[in-house]
Amino acid sequence: MIPVLFFVSVIIFVLINLIPGDAARLFLGEEAPPDAVAALRHELGLDQPVYVQYLRWVGGMLHGDFGYSFKDHRPVLATVLEKIPVTGELTVASLLVAWAIAIPAGALAAWRQRTVTDYGASAAALVGLSIPNFWLGIMLIYLFAVHLRWLPASGWTSLTHDPVRNVRALAMPASVLGLVLAAVVMRQLRSSMVEVLSADFVRTAKAKGLAGGVVVIRHALRNAVIPVITVMGIQMGTLLGGAVITETIFAVPGLGQLAVNSIYGRDYPMLEGVVLFSALAILVINLAVDIVYSLIDPRIKLAGGRS
Amino acid sequence: MASSRATRGRITRRELLRYGAAGALTAAGLLGAPGSMPMAFAQGGGHRGGTLRVGLDSDPPNLDPHRSSAAVDRQVFQSLYDKLMDTDANLKIVPMLAASWSVSSDGRTFTLKLRQGVQFHDGTPFNAQAVVYNFDRMRDPKFPSARRSEISPVTAVVATDPYTVEIRLERPYSPLAYTLTDRAGMMVSPAAAQKAGLDFALHPVGTGAFSFVEKIPQDHVTLRRNPNYWMKGLPYLDQVIFRSFPDDNARVANLKSGDLDIINIVPPPQVKQITQDAKQPGAGFRLLEHGAFAYNGIWLNVTKPPFDNKALRQAFSTAIDRTAIANAVLQGAAYPAYSFFPNGTPAYDPSWKIPPRDPALAKEKLQAGGHAGGFDCTFMMAPGQTNLAIAQAVQSMVGEVGIQLRIQVLEFGTLLDTMSKFQHQAGMVGWSGRPDPDFDIYPFVTKSGIPDFNYAGYVNDQVQNLLDAARVLQDMSQRVRAYSQVTKILADDMPYAWLYCLKEYKLVSTKMRGFVQVPDGMIRLHSVWLAS
Repeated sequence: MIPVLFFVSVIIFVLINLIPGDAARLFLGEEAPPDAVAALRHELGLDQPVYVQYLRWVGGMLHGDFGYSFKDHRPVLATVLEKIPVTGELTVASLLVAWAIAIPAGALAAWRQRTVTDYGASAAALVGLSIPNFWLGIMLIYLFAVHLRWLPASGWTSLTHDPVRNVRALAMPASVLGLVLAAVVMRQLRSSMVEVLSADFVRTAKAKGLAGGVVVIRHALRNAVIPVITVMGIQMGTLLGGAVITETIFAVPGLGQLAVNSIYGRDYPMLEGVVLFSALAILVINLAVDIVYSLIDPRIKLAGGRS
Repeated sequence: MASSRATRGRITRRELLRYGAAGALTAAGLLGAPGSMPMAFAQGGGHRGGTLRVGLDSDPPNLDPHRSSAAVDRQVFQSLYDKLMDTDANLKIVPMLAASWSVSSDGRTFTLKLRQGVQFHDGTPFNAQAVVYNFDRMRDPKFPSARRSEISPVTAVVATDPYTVEIRLERPYSPLAYTLTDRAGMMVSPAAAQKAGLDFALHPVGTGAFSFVEKIPQDHVTLRRNPNYWMKGLPYLDQVIFRSFPDDNARVANLKSGDLDIINIVPPPQVKQITQDAKQPGAGFRLLEHGAFAYNGIWLNVTKPPFDNKALRQAFSTAIDRTAIANAVLQGAAYPAYSFFPNGTPAYDPSWKIPPRDPALAKEKLQAGGHAGGFDCTFMMAPGQTNLAIAQAVQSMVGEVGIQLRIQVLEFGTLLDTMSKFQHQAGMVGWSGRPDPDFDIYPFVTKSGIPDFNYAGYVNDQVQNLLDAARVLQDMSQRVRAYSQVTKILADDMPYAWLYCLKEYKLVSTKMRGFVQVPDGMIRLHSVWLAS
């Protein structure tokens, strides 16, 4: 993981420095005198060669100093840590929404293959995949906040502060992200389930006289879910990307919004912090996915184990 | 890069303030006393208490007025800080922290008599020493101030007694008064600023009607009532919460659903619909309209082909139907523009007419420019639905006379960077507007604005001389004459093809009372209350 993070840090730094636009010029007002720009460039460390800036950044991180925002001198680490629970909660909630929809729908579609149920579920999934996040978000706001007035149109209350308001704030953004993910998961689950249902052990189970539901849930689902977990692991990256749009629409103060604002403001230290943590999150998730494999299917051993 | 640019209906992270016109105050009149000063409200008697929720178009990045470069910051500053002077609803300069002032006969000394009995939120007294400290802070070469350039003619600021300050200038500089109604005139607590250093933006302390409570980036800024505010009985509100909604639709939806009380930028394509919705029975919101303060247009790079050829620039401009853009593409949410001075600014000249589109003349100009058959060029712009609609309208208008535009969409920061390196042929970048006309024109057409404002690379000695003269003249009507002369020269040279000026809109809940819509588009809250 360490070498991966090292490469990630180099790539982040190079990419961010490739963005056109000079942060110092951007912050200073009209007809900014050259000495003021120079003073700011010096304060921000932008007058140093790029490799020096990189070494300073990495060196600082090794000491736990992730730098300060160019905008208002806010520490990067504290800000990112403040945002992680928000995006984390949104991600987990989206996953729950996705599972709650996709697992029954996918299993049912596979079990009732080539029936109206199957075609209906597949059509719904296609619609779910095709709807853009931002459009769905706005439509939900118009329906549930403007017309029905059931939910707040946007905003955020932390879970520890007020759990009820937290759930109400979370409902729409989590549904938007969850619905799109549900479509992907449902399709994956259906196809792997179809395969498993035609396997010998399922025929055996049926031959033993087990009820259809028991076969599907206890025998088939557990085996069909492995490729689905792989897809989920990959989808976590997409989920983080989708959070950028969803958080912007629902004014959720998470990592996604922080990233967007940092890009527009050329707030390099903050952006580097956000991207690095996102990369770290993906690495951790991949690790977690590997561990989950072995829990679900004991035949898969973690690296280092002997079979 | 510049601090304030407007590129489209909804704008960018930088100064996206919109300023409204002094004229159309009818809508504001429905909500508060039009044109009256806040003191009138103190007697008028509003309700004490309540929390007002403001929806901003982006997250305010920096709460230090001397370092801020984003327009949206200024919306928060209006409540957090007081300025030496303020502008009223007719854009007249009125006293605020300076109770009165005078200008010496040579125009080089500005004497301010300060208001007494004012204190900062941390208890530090406001006096002449505090003003001197603020100017020193803005002028300190070691402090990366975004205000230095605005007060560059200032050579010294001296306290002549505890409540009198003299600002000395190296030359007469008429734009100074309006400058002090904006961020350069906002006074921060010397004690707090010294203590916090570069962290002042995290712990801002001013003298404003509301004091700082907290800021959670990308989420909200909370301010609390200042019980010691110098305007007696004000403010009415207990608390103000600013939240950011970069998405236009989401910002509007939040206001309509009653989750917000006021929003700052209303997307032009939605104006028509919102106007209708507001008339529905039971609609809890109202759209306030003003004249225009911001402008938008197309820079024609005079330093390289094809627009180094004046006749071709004229051909381009003549082929554009500005009235159709304002009325059809923008559905009446803008006025057509043919100068740097929108109708809400003091230098607006009503005798200045929008020339009609003239394809025959455009073809003559093409011939005169040696391209009778037309030419190709690249046209750069920032992303956005409104922007794209305008670019496509221009593309088809100039296409009819033989000018083929290739539209290239670039992220705003990248667009400015590309244009400041003069890698463009033509590019659409606007300006949010300023109360003093000087800031609407000077850097854009003089050498001092190259490369960050003057994206045409345009230099003209006559223009330079006239604009320098206007900076020295103290009388606005004389200045306006100079600006009209410059505008005439620019209309012939056409380094910037003006397109339109967006009207200033505020969408407010019907519960919000006592709001005065000031031409600068700023949300001033000291006189606002909430009806129960």
